[in-house]
Amino acid sequence: MAVNFWDILAAVLLVGTGIMVVRLQNAVHAAIALIANFLVIAAVYVGLEARFVAMTQIIVYGGAIVVLFLFVIMLLSAAKANVGEDLLPGLQIPALISALGLAGVLIYALTRFQGPANPPALNGGLAQALGPLLYSPERWMYALLVVGFLLLVATVAAVVLVEPERLTRATEHPAHPAKGGEPSPKDEKEVVRR
Amino acid sequence: MQTTILLPLIIGLPFLGFVILGLFGRRIGEPASGWLASLLVLGSFLLGVNLLAGGGAKWAVADWLPGIPFSLLLDNLSGLMVMIVAGIGFLIHVYAIGYMHGDAGFSRFFSYFNFFIAAMLVLVLADSFPVMFIGWEGVGLASYLLIGFWYTDRVNTDSARKAFIVNRIGDLGFLLGMGLLWAAFGTLSISGLREKIEASTLIFQAIPLAAALLFIGAIGKSAQVPLMVWLPDAMAGPTPVSALIHAATMVTAGVYLLARASFLYVGVPDVSFWVTMVGMVTAIYGALCAFGQTDIKRIVAYSTLSQLGFMFVAAGVGAYWVAIFHVMTHAFFKALLFMSSGSVIHALGGEQDVRKMGGMWKYLPQTRWHGLIGALALGGLPLLSGFWSKDAILASSFEYSPLLWFIMLAVAFLTALYSMRWFVLVFLGEYRGKEHPHESPAVMTWPNHVLSIGALLAGFVGLPYVIQEKNVLEPWLNAAIRPPEAEHLAAGTEWILILASALVSLGGLYYGFRFFQQRVLPKWFTNFQTASLHSFYADNFYNTYIVNPLKAFADFLFGADNGLLRGFGGLGGLVGGIGGWLARLETGYLRFYVAGLLIAVVLLVGWGVLR
Amino acid sequence: MIWLITSALLFATGAYGALTRRTAILVFLSIELMLNAANLSLISFAKLTGSLDAQVVTLFVIAIAAAEVAVGLGLIVAIFRRRETTSVDDLRGLRG
Repeated sequence: MAVNFWDILAAVLLVGTGIMVVRLQNAVHAAIALIANFLVIAAVYVGLEARFVAMTQIIVYGGAIVVLFLFVIMLLSAAKANVGEDLLPGLQIPALISALGLAGVLIYALTRFQGPANPPALNGGLAQALGPLLYSPERWMYALLVVGFLLLVATVAAVVLVEPERLTRATEHPAHPAKGGEPSPKDEKEVVRR
Repeated sequence: MQTTILLPLIIGLPFLGFVILGLFGRRIGEPASGWLASLLVLGSFLLGVNLLAGGGAKWAVADWLPGIPFSLLLDNLSGLMVMIVAGIGFLIHVYAIGYMHGDAGFSRFFSYFNFFIAAMLVLVLADSFPVMFIGWEGVGLASYLLIGFWYTDRVNTDSARKAFIVNRIGDLGFLLGMGLLWAAFGTLSISGLREKIEASTLIFQAIPLAAALLFIGAIGKSAQVPLMVWLPDAMAGPTPVSALIHAATMVTAGVYLLARASFLYVGVPDVSFWVTMVGMVTAIYGALCAFGQTDIKRIVAYSTLSQLGFMFVAAGVGAYWVAIFHVMTHAFFKALLFMSSGSVIHALGGEQDVRKMGGMWKYLPQTRWHGLIGALALGGLPLLSGFWSKDAILASSFEYSPLLWFIMLAVAFLTALYSMRWFVLVFLGEYRGKEHPHESPAVMTWPNHVLSIGALLAGFVGLPYVIQEKNVLEPWLNAAIRPPEAEHLAAGTEWILILASALVSLGGLYYGFRFFQQRVLPKWFTNFQTASLHSFYADNFYNTYIVNPLKAFADFLFGADNGLLRGFGGLGGLVGGIGGWLARLETGYLRFYVAGLLIAVVLLVGWGVLR
Repeated sequence: MIWLITSALLFATGAYGALTRRTAILVFLSIELMLNAANLSLISFAKLTGSLDAQVVTLFVIAIAAAEVAVGLGLIVAIFRRRETTSVDDLRGLRG
């Protein structure tokens, strides 16, 4: 496989934005670096004949997920990356070493992969090619249904989790009282009845 | 003999009552729950009579347990028992509506009562030992619940537990006997066993032991010596309970078991001999104990013990129909005695001590007749029901051995004496209490009227052959029991026996009537009375020689257990130490865990690709 | 082949971030990076083997990542409501 200039550029961009994501001290900056990373990946996907996935990548990841992240960062005023004090300062070096070790074993494992000599073309990875696979009962249809159901459950779970009163009162644990004092017993009863 | 779903319905009706009253009894309230319970029992009585008139019935679920069907059988024997249980049970239910009036546990009482009837019907209708065992345990449970019905009183709950625990000893015998029969014959169906045993000319080694073990079960349930101690204490329950469970029906289950399994016993005279002996000793013991009691119900309870001994004697000598005959007449007059005792207790506002009674003849114009009839029937006044059945027992024991006959005749004399003692102390003489007595309401007297008629007339179904060539009961019951052919006594001997027993009971009744009206009783009698009051120290004996050694042994084992476990304590400490050390890895830092995960991934993937 | 190596590097970078970041949101961000690294390797394999199945799996991963983000961010918000913090080091209730 020939390695050209654009490939090298994209790889460097990917790793660079990746490092920015994990090192930048402002959470908003990190999230924006992640968007950049995702967009580059989408471009790479196009090059790898996965155009439909590339579009999904841009829409779902770049458009929805990271925006959601940004929204939560803003909601919680959590732009400052390092809150509180570092209770495990000794972890920096082991983390770097184990990450390098991981990269090492992964690269070693992945580069030993031998594909077929002349793989068939993927027709650009368009929806016309993916659709029959996705909706055919013999292939991925049931998995698709399960994933759809999972999304539904996740939506419900997210709503339940964030619903304010149920969370802060009914699941109150005596060992970890919420800030702002104990709720009165009467309140607690009312909430439990809900 | 038809197969019909109506048969389990006999059991189902009272069980339905138990469920309804158990769940909604409080809402149904008083007295509706009592009437509901009574009517359901009446329903199963009528159903039973109807099926019996149709020639009996059977019903089975084929594969209830692997190899064991859930089979029910209504033949003449179980039919008679159904009539006794449901019929007299119905009367006692009605009586209890009056007796339990105003009790906080009114509907609970009736749900237990219905449960008892259902379990008892399972017991008598069973055609398979496991099914019978269900009923057997069910009536034991009902007995426990009802003895301890007024559970706020420590004495009552202790009595209930005593009854339950003593019964367990007998149940063990029943279970072992059942297991032995299964091992030897591969079936536990009673009619199936009967066919196998009767068809074979071989003598099975297992039968004597199995028969003896089943007999131990009967001893426990029917309170025979040496497991008799629970029955007098069972009087702690409400009086209708004593009448129904501890006199008329449940305690006769042992006799019924012997009659039902008679095919096991006819071939083994050794076991039958011991049945007779146990019955005889119980009859003597119960009669002697009855003299000293001061509690009105305990007198009747010991008389029940004694009468159960009579039934066992009859079963032991092979006269099974006579045993069931006595079960029937006894059910009438003993229920009557208990319920007139209950009426007296009711009249005196809960007083049970006969020393504070007396003179009730004046105050209770209806109950006095019930008491008189009951006492005379128990004492064996000629022509009353108790006379005929007791005479039949005496006659069959004479066939077995004249010595046995003589002993049982003496016990019959004692019976007449103590039944008069009961009557005299309660109804005659001067009133010695303070409470103003009042007659019971109609709902309590009417069942007693019916029972009085039964106590007067029930004996006429089983007349001796010299009076009536073929009486009603004997061939009818023998159709189900199918005993081997027996010879009748010579007519002259039979007449002499009848006369002797008539004279003895008349003499006993008259002598007792005179003796107990004396103001001062002789010294020898009061001494005897003291020993009798304490049941000849049977409880003390058991406590000293059985219960306390067992307790000491249990304490010893408990201590040994502790010592042993402490020996293994090192092991527990080791595990605890390792756990504590490992727990320090659980730092609570999320990132610490992730680091562990990551290192593990590196190592595993590395090992995987480099391998 | 270059993309496989890149995805390995991205994955390690994400892991490093998950270890060193103390803010829950940024830990989460790093995990997203790791997911994408996995996606990248899947797409590369699709190209190398000429099979579209890997691309379908990538679609699933994207969908599940969306679900995961919804629940995960919900959890973070919920924890923040109770504890007024987004630091993962403060959540030590499971300490042994």
